[in-house]
Amino acid sequence: MESSDEVAVEKCRVHLRPGTLRDAACATLHLLPCEVQVNGPAPVERFFTPAIRQGPDGLEVSFRGRRLRGEEVVLPPGLVGYVTVMEEKGEGPVGKDFSEGSSNNDEREEQELAEPPEALERDFDQFIGAAASFSRFTLWGLETIPGPDAKVRGALTWPSLAAAIHAQVPED
Amino acid sequence: MDCGNGARARQHVFLLPEYLKDASKKMKSGLIFVKLVNPCSGEGTIYLFNMCQQQLFEIKVFKEKHHSWFINQSVQSGGLLHFATPMDPLFLLLHYLRKTGKESTGAAGQGKFQPLNQVVVDDMFPNCILLLKLPDLEKLLRHVTEEKEIDKKKYYKYSKEKTIKWLEKKVHQTVSALKTNNINVSARVQANAFFSGDQVSSDKEEDYIRYAHGLISDYIPKELSDDLAKYLKLPETSASLPNPPSKKNSKMTAAQKALAKVDKSGMKSIDSFFATKNKKKIGEI
Repeated sequence: MESSDEVAVEKCRVHLRPGTLRDAACATLHLLPCEVQVNGPAPVERFFTPAIRQGPDGLEVSFRGRRLRGEEVVLPPGLVGYVTVMEEKGEGPVGKDFSEGSSNNDEREEQELAEPPEALERDFDQFIGAAASFSRFTLWGLETIPGPDAKVRGALTWPSLAAAIHAQVPED
Repeated sequence: MDCGNGARARQHVFLLPEYLKDASKKMKSGLIFVKLVNPCSGEGTIYLFNMCQQQLFEIKVFKEKHHSWFINQSVQSGGLLHFATPMDPLFLLLHYLRKTGKESTGAAGQGKFQPLNQVVVDDMFPNCILLLKLPDLEKLLRHVTEEKEIDKKKYYKYSKEKTIKWLEKKVHQTVSALKTNNINVSARVQANAFFSGDQVSSDKEEDYIRYAHGLISDYIPKELSDDLAKYLKLPETSASLPNPPSKKNSKMTAAQKALAKVDKSGMKSIDSFFATKNKKKIGEI
């Protein structure tokens, strides 16, 4: 690893803007059973969404000529989904636009208790914000609906298991 | 790597505890991703830290081949799903306590009592000082250390005996969760029971313990994991294992190592649902 650059990276903190968690608009998400190699805009509403049909057992659609079958997956209780994006450098603190009434005294106090802002935010720090939120998404499989053994369904049970692993144990 | 368009920001799909949304009302900043030491592997791993409420969150990434997201009117390759779940900071503190305990062990084999700010020191991961701000540290440390108070200042010494007992409680706590969540830990035993028809219940409990031990082992170094296995009286290698995992294979990732100790024949591990290399993912943001 590069030595001097690496130090900066290690010290770098990525801040998640809390205000954006409250104001994120609801997003529609589909998890496709194929790898699309690009990231960017796609006219989902023009081609994909209108083609979704309610079949006898689950949703049906086709993508690139292949038949997909899917169903809605609701996030486990206590969890919220977010789509986050990195802020461009020099974009400025978006947080100010979002945190209405940030001059609130209680908030100031809270802030000072934690750590002075200048210590929290430094030049090399980066910021991400929640662009959208979701509470459910559509899970798609090729030809068949992903069954109960689908890995993503297993992963969604992780938070409840993690809670048990990391809960405090009683003292003797 | 990206599609060449500078304005095309990479989107990450995150699952966060709901209460962070409510808590965010009180803070203008204070949720930060930091690189801290992974207590199992010793490598750098990204964690989420809530500065306002002083909480530590672990980040796990679900990654399976051949998946992509449609997010509103956009496509995001990879199909990654990031989980932020609360983490017991004691696992991280334990990493430093054990390290200091070893360094200060003299010829008599006795470690020194030290103040915490001399224990949690890390040139590689300077953000470790955040751990010192966590609430109820003293209470937490009682599980794994001996403590002394001199002039109202606390001094701590790592205690292996206490740590093993603490880990045993963690294992039993996890076993209960595995049972309530109906996690299948014993497909093999069930299949065997189908043919031989005995020892179903007793074997099952052992499978739960072994599985839970594997999960906890993801948060502690191998040495401690082995000690815990002995304490729990888990057989070192099961005779029925078709391919006993090689202990010499140091190339295995932390998750794989943990899984290697678990009998995987015919069972699904929660951890296998996640990509094992979750370290770099957030760093790319």
